[in-house]
Amino acid sequence: MWLPNWPMLRLQRSGAVSADQPAATVVTERGQRRLACVCPVASEAGLRVGQALAEARALCPELDVHEATPEEDAAALARLAEWATRFTPLAAANPPEGLWLDIAGCAHLHGAEDGAGEETLCATIARRLGEAGFPPRLAVADASGAAWALARHAGRRLHVLPPGNERAALEDLPIGLLRLDDRAVAALRRVGIRTIGALARLPRAEVAARFGALPALRLEQAGLSQAGGIAEEPIAWPMPARPWEEIRHFAEPIAAPEDLARALALLADALAQRLEEQSLGARRFVARFLRVDGITPAIGIATARPVRAAGYILKLLTGKLETVDPGFGVEAVALEAQALGSLSASQAALDGKPDATADLAATLDTLIARLGEDALWRPVAQGSHVPERAVGRAGPLAGVAWPAELPDRPLRLFTPPEPIEATAPVPDDPPLFFRWRGRVHRIRAATGPERIAAEWWRRSPDPTRPAHDFIRDYYRVEDQQGGRFWVFRVGLGGVPRWFVHGVFG
Amino acid sequence: MHFTRLPVPPPYPPTRRQPARAGLAMGPAVGTCLPGGALPLGVLHEIEPEGGAEVQHGAAVAGFAARLLARLPAGRPWLWVAGREDLYAPGLVACGLDPGRLVLACARDDAAVLAAMEAGLRGGAFAAVVGEAGRLTRLGARRLQIACLRHGSTGLLLHRWPYGRATGAEEEAPAAVTRWRIGPVAGSVTAGAGGFGPPRWRLELLHARGGVPGEWIVEAGERDAPDLVRVVAELADVAPAAQRRGVG
Repeated sequence: MWLPNWPMLRLQRSGAVSADQPAATVVTERGQRRLACVCPVASEAGLRVGQALAEARALCPELDVHEATPEEDAAALARLAEWATRFTPLAAANPPEGLWLDIAGCAHLHGAEDGAGEETLCATIARRLGEAGFPPRLAVADASGAAWALARHAGRRLHVLPPGNERAALEDLPIGLLRLDDRAVAALRRVGIRTIGALARLPRAEVAARFGALPALRLEQAGLSQAGGIAEEPIAWPMPARPWEEIRHFAEPIAAPEDLARALALLADALAQRLEEQSLGARRFVARFLRVDGITPAIGIATARPVRAAGYILKLLTGKLETVDPGFGVEAVALEAQALGSLSASQAALDGKPDATADLAATLDTLIARLGEDALWRPVAQGSHVPERAVGRAGPLAGVAWPAELPDRPLRLFTPPEPIEATAPVPDDPPLFFRWRGRVHRIRAATGPERIAAEWWRRSPDPTRPAHDFIRDYYRVEDQQGGRFWVFRVGLGGVPRWFVHGVFG
Repeated sequence: MHFTRLPVPPPYPPTRRQPARAGLAMGPAVGTCLPGGALPLGVLHEIEPEGGAEVQHGAAVAGFAARLLARLPAGRPWLWVAGREDLYAPGLVACGLDPGRLVLACARDDAAVLAAMEAGLRGGAFAAVVGEAGRLTRLGARRLQIACLRHGSTGLLLHRWPYGRATGAEEEAPAAVTRWRIGPVAGSVTAGAGGFGPPRWRLELLHARGGVPGEWIVEAGERDAPDLVRVVAELADVAPAAQRRGVG
């Protein structure tokens, strides 16, 4: 995507420059003030980029002159690239006046039928940017170099190149659109090569010998490789920022576990220091090992409460280090703190007694590192009569209050309830015996029923199931061997079905 | 010929006599079989199901363990590690246990349960650590026992086989201080009163270090009773224990 006159348009949009007055930015080049960018009104007045400022002033006395600010332009362009991530996850600034958008796999999201998606997407982008005051020039092509050249070639505002048509499309384009440096362009012009097509027809080895490797590379990036294929463009796609990550790169790849542990120690120290400066701790730490073959194994730990002590983090991480396969070597190690929480410096108790909560947190962290973050919890009473929903989960350090008295509930609860074959003399009576897991249990005593109905406000009515399917009649029964079970019946009035839901201890 | 004098091995460190540890009252009849007349705390105990469906769901074993936890000195929380998540917290309230002080943990397999138990015992932050696992090697039991002794937490290993007891896995020489076998017994229903009394178990003390084996029919002690169990009837010693083991 090309945004012609980006610096000027940016100034216009920011209100520093009026749109109907000739304006230009200037740079100082070898002691001479020259125009760097001219607005459309000024270019109509005959001004052009590269003109000396004195000459421009002579042509157009009312010219509004601003100092060029390439850094601010680039920063604004990066912000625009961030805005463009709504169309594709891969959007990068291409200073001074362009954006790269990788829309592979995104186009179909914007077009109804196959093939039209790219045009629709580009039209949307062009319309949105045009409304904002930056009419863009867009070109879509398989090869990045071809897209770059077509976007900047005077012609259509939107150019979608079908795959494989690079040669025909670029044949007559001037050599200057190949992103070569000025000297190479001048040298090529001197020998009479003025179009991309003319250059592409020359033997590649001779071009490289005479003009360096760049022209050949640019041709391949434009999809004009003689061997076929397209050279990859190294584009630095912006990645989400990781403000709490420390990374160390190594001159030589490392692989020994001790080296990895030492690298982690360095990172943990640095990270702990940064966290301490901000009075922060983190509940999750992730270490990534960037291998030379591009694979990035990662290990992570979680803690019950925010921590930042380097030795502590290290102890938990080292336990998982053996799962990391260094492969042919690790180029860089990164350690990131996630789930930040405030953690102010604290003093140990004056009486020298160890802090019981700290002990518990440390033990829990070891267990979390061993079993996983979701594997430890405290049961929480929840206000529901449905047995499955009567218990929730809280963090292992949470303070939880339980009522001292509850209705009789089993010690083991099966989820889901297990179906049993039961025989009851009268539909409303507890069963006489039931068969469960291949064993027959003869009932010698029973209490109940306790009727528990599903909470109607939690489910949408299911017309295929009768309402009484959601009503359970629970009985507490004891069999001849003394086992005490919690069984229930559903299907009131119809065919009853029996389940065992739990066992009393 | 020249002989090098072999270094004399250092003498074994003198065996430290463990200080007298607090015990948990089990009632006079059971207490006579236990060292010191009570269940020693700060050590490892094993509890296994008697047979039948109990082997799979382990409810009586869990009920015994929960009532034991509830009688430990208050303060520190408890940890309960299991391979299945079927322990139901509201049921613990009836055992006199406050579920708010219980930390539950789910482990992948028996080895993970034992490793988590050891990690929990090592911190000393828990009053007791309960683990549900099928098999315990002598080495594993020894490790748990050492962790208990070093840090003063009580360890309870509940034997449980969710898919039925593994065959051929005969127990090794015990490393835990006591080993109990427990199974439900019928007969504690008060007819007409509209409810069940406390659960009744056949409790067998298979092994006690410094004690003698024994077998009783017991009822779980009431919530505020100091004793963990109340003996209902003492079985005759001549009862063929081996025959009962074959049940299930």
